[in-house]
Amino acid sequence: MRKYAVIYRSVFMENLQYAANIAMGFAGYFVFIYIFIRLWDYIYQTPEELIAGYTKEQMIWYVMMTEMIWFASNSSSVARNVTADIRGGNIAYLMNKPYHYTLYILTKYTGEWSIRLPMYAGLAVVIGMLMVGPVPRFHIIRLPVMILCIILGITINAVFKLCISLFSFWIEDATPFQWLYDKLILVVGTIFPIEIFPEFLQPFFKLTPIYTVCYGPAKLIVDFDTGKCVEILSAQILYLAAGCGLMFLVYRKGVKKLYVNGG
Amino acid sequence: MQAIRVENLSKTFQVKRKEKGMKGSIQAIFHPQMEEVKAVDGVSFTVEEGEILAFIGPNGAGKSTTIKMLTGILYPDGGRVEVLGIDPTKKRKQLAYNIGTVFGQKEQLWTHLTPYDNFLFFSAIYDIPDKEAKERIGELAERFELGAFINTPVRNLSLGQRIRCEIVASLIHKPRVLFLDEPTIGLDPVVKEMIRSLIRQMNEELHTTIFLTSHDVGDIEKLCRRIIIVNAGKIVLDDSMEHLRNKDLADTPLENIIMKIYKSEERGAVL
Repeated sequence: MRKYAVIYRSVFMENLQYAANIAMGFAGYFVFIYIFIRLWDYIYQTPEELIAGYTKEQMIWYVMMTEMIWFASNSSSVARNVTADIRGGNIAYLMNKPYHYTLYILTKYTGEWSIRLPMYAGLAVVIGMLMVGPVPRFHIIRLPVMILCIILGITINAVFKLCISLFSFWIEDATPFQWLYDKLILVVGTIFPIEIFPEFLQPFFKLTPIYTVCYGPAKLIVDFDTGKCVEILSAQILYLAAGCGLMFLVYRKGVKKLYVNGG
Repeated sequence: MQAIRVENLSKTFQVKRKEKGMKGSIQAIFHPQMEEVKAVDGVSFTVEEGEILAFIGPNGAGKSTTIKMLTGILYPDGGRVEVLGIDPTKKRKQLAYNIGTVFGQKEQLWTHLTPYDNFLFFSAIYDIPDKEAKERIGELAERFELGAFINTPVRNLSLGQRIRCEIVASLIHKPRVLFLDEPTIGLDPVVKEMIRSLIRQMNEELHTTIFLTSHDVGDIEKLCRRIIIVNAGKIVLDDSMEHLRNKDLADTPLENIIMKIYKSEERGAVL
């Protein structure tokens, strides 16, 4: 474990130098959130109205939380970089060390988002408090479980994105599949909560990573319920275990197919 | 004891082929044509522990593919490989603790970190305790004269300084076999000579087995006692440097001898 802690520390140190660059992304987040605040202001006729079980405040906080996760975890480390490593042969210079390549990539990724997430969380809280008001029925005592849920969601997302990237061992380019996956997560579960979609689709969404990546953590923040919390955390643990199993399997099979350009 | 044992090693790549022009590009979508390229074709050799071996050949001869199979990066299609008695395809991680690699054209150091932080990083990767790592870094820094720039970020170093740091990073865990893939590429003559001297010193003092590929005849002449030349995936010469410089060829520069071997398929055509 020590070696992964050192990898994490090195990436963290590197990314600290780019904190100003990360802050540049705040503008994109603000514009996005501002549009949604205006949109939901327009859609909700009265402050008491419920849409898909959400009040206006809950709905806006939901989008702010999912977008916070989205912006904080948005990195090319587990997607484009892995595909480029495999296609360009750079992976050859990364896998001849005594660590597991996939865990190396996940550790690097963790070093990246663990700087961005607190920065975006701070921004989200400031925007939310100024433009919407406090999260309804929020209790600080539940914060640790919410943070755990967010971390698990980001990690599950990374594991599945890494799995897709590892398909580059077989196909020319996994980027189109990454694009599809990203858009699915963005539209279903990030911009809109699952409850907005037709009822017959909801059980299907609950069987996909969408349920555990953005929807689960954001749902707990805006509408905490102990039963729901246990359900989401259990689903996250199951998805993480299954995702890691798939990731190791795909890597083990794929690495035998490795073709390195120029030898 | 044998450090490396290779028996009938083969590796074939599937390479896409397409006709020229737009028509060819469209055809390739519906009827992709693949061609088999034998990168390594039935190669066999052994390397004794403590030996410095030059493994050379023209571009595309199969040198890097062989190194990548020896280090467990690529899986062979046929044949057997053993490095320090370990099968790289089955125990790559175990092997990684015992070998070092330097690729002159590819940096493995983290460019935003200083060499010192990089060395600590690699020490942790190889599970070396902190105290032992610091002693080892001090010892290597002195031997490789890194004192003046050990705390400068790698991105600000010259190529010569960087290569010296790359070699130190690959030696941090005291590897028994060191694979050097064109370690002196792009360096000026003074730095080249320094790197060669350090490699020689390492081999003599630590008994490290050196597996060297290089297009620089100076590296081969000044470092190696044995040479293997590969061409089109096959070994075309495996001989000692002493034999290669036999009396009939004594006046011919080594570069010319190698060039003739590269151009011919069989050793007999030249020697």
